[in-house]
Amino acid sequence: MSVIETVRASWVMGALRSVTPRSLVRAHNAIVPHDSVSGRSLTVVIAIMCFLACLTAGAVHLVSQSANAWTQDLASEITVQINPARDVDMEKQVTLIALFLAKQPGVTRVSPLSVDQSARLLEPWLGQNSEIASLPVPRLIAIEIDRAALPDLEGLRVALEETFSMAKLDDHRRWQAEIRTVTRSLALGGITVLVLVAAATIATIISATRSAMASNREIIEVLHLVGAKDQFIASEFERHFLVVGIRAGLMGAGAAALVFTLLPLVLHLLGQGGLAAAEFKRLLGDAILDPLGYFVLFLVVVVVAALSMLTSRYGVYAILKTYS
Amino acid sequence: MIRFENVGLRYGMGPEVLRDINFHLLPGSFHFLTGPSGAGKTTLLRLLFMALRPSRGLTYLFGQNPTDQTTGERAELRRRIGVVFQDFRLLDHLTTWQNVALPLRVTGRDEADYKDDVTELLKWVGLGDRMHAFPAILSGGEKQRAAIARAVIGKPELLLADEPTGNVDPQMANRLLRLFVELNKLGTSIVIATHDQLLMEQFKKPQLVLHDGHLTIRG
Ligand SMILES: Nc1ncnc2c1ncn2[C@@H]1O[C@H](COP(=O)(O)OP(=O)(O)OP(=O)(O)O)[C@@H](O)[C@H]1O
Ligand SMILES: [Mg+2]
Repeated sequence: MSVIETVRASWVMGALRSVTPRSLVRAHNAIVPHDSVSGRSLTVVIAIMCFLACLTAGAVHLVSQSANAWTQDLASEITVQINPARDVDMEKQVTLIALFLAKQPGVTRVSPLSVDQSARLLEPWLGQNSEIASLPVPRLIAIEIDRAALPDLEGLRVALEETFSMAKLDDHRRWQAEIRTVTRSLALGGITVLVLVAAATIATIISATRSAMASNREIIEVLHLVGAKDQFIASEFERHFLVVGIRAGLMGAGAAALVFTLLPLVLHLLGQGGLAAAEFKRLLGDAILDPLGYFVLFLVVVVVAALSMLTSRYGVYAILKTYS
Repeated sequence: MIRFENVGLRYGMGPEVLRDINFHLLPGSFHFLTGPSGAGKTTLLRLLFMALRPSRGLTYLFGQNPTDQTTGERAELRRRIGVVFQDFRLLDHLTTWQNVALPLRVTGRDEADYKDDVTELLKWVGLGDRMHAFPAILSGGEKQRAAIARAVIGKPELLLADEPTGNVDPQMANRLLRLFVELNKLGTSIVIATHDQLLMEQFKKPQLVLHDGHLTIRG
């Protein structure tokens, strides 16, 4: 190991050691007794806050991942829709349009959907129904475009719609925009929830700090009298809150991680069900939280622990000011 | 080093406990503070270690006026003062050793730095075998000695002791007084509040006498 690596390793070990609960609150020499700060109820409340925050953050992450995948797919595909008209041989029209499209630059593949395939797309809405074939179902042609050399979609649309009056080109832009709107509002909702959870956590820590200081008033007085500064007193309290934050944060995030691990299974079971389940599934994709998602949960723990520590620190400062 | 000018003090809306207190203590001085019970000895000491602010008049500690200072600066001043409280004020959940080490610990010093000093001092005050006991199980005299050890561990420039010999036998009282005398020789100014006439006769030192809220200096 190089010198730098050794130094870095020892620094990391030192940092780790300094945040492990054992060294933070070695019961026999903590100036502020740990039990006087962290009741079980405080840990439970913070753990629940962290759990909610993790669920929210994880869900937002899942949705945005699956929306990303969606928009990617949509972007490399465009569709031509041919509206049915009376007295027209639809099959022939479809073939003609497909041939026309295949000749256009930038188009890599043209695959007309058969009547059956088109009908199958409508199944979730209309149910399995042999009547569909007799309905005037619009026909679709899926076109894969060359992403390296994107075709001039506007030109293509104009050319297509001039040549074939019943054809309509759909470059999915409206869809993409809609998906983006949905994801954005979900993310916004998620952020609102996170902000509320953070505010509730801060309020909880402040009141816990106040009561911890009240029950340790005598200790604070003695510390002042032997020459302790506010920073020292704050750090004596803050280390307990850091431990509570880490412990409760891990509990909450662990529970959330369990939920996310079981989610694909739950969705799979639901998947047999009706339209709602199918829609839900579409929103979440396969609902498997990727490593980045678990990292997001970890970040939530870090934020909860830091919030707990910093809030108590500033709480102690503010309350000490009122003492003198 | 310490100067009081026309200091008066009242608790809340009560009567003035101390009135027109004027005195001046030089570095390296040694005084007894005496007077009948309720005369205000503890109150005067509280002014000296800045647990109280004077209702009127001016106080100077080490040339500085504590009322002008930030809490951080007052903490720095307190580190130069050792206090033995009449009611000891030991922390019940810390061992005797940890209580005595507290003034050093709050300065952020490394424990390895002062470990031996604390142990040695505890042995000197006769608590060598009670180091790891908690205050709750110490006798009154043992608590008193622990409180004294905590007051002197930081080698303060000013030592204030409120009835430091109230709970020990005359022999131990003598021994503790000699600790104060030793400290005094090393340059620490000492103020000891006491009722103990015998002790004051034994150690012939000037006396600050409180009576009816007024202070006179004898000797
Ligand atoms: N916190 C307080 N609030 C109101 N009055 C107080 C307070 N502390 C002390 N006093 C009053 O101030 C007066 C002086 O009290 P102090 O404790 O200074 O006396 P003392 O000389 O130390 O007495 P002793 O020798 O019994 O220890 C007493 O009348 C006491 O009742
Ligand atoms: Mg008294």
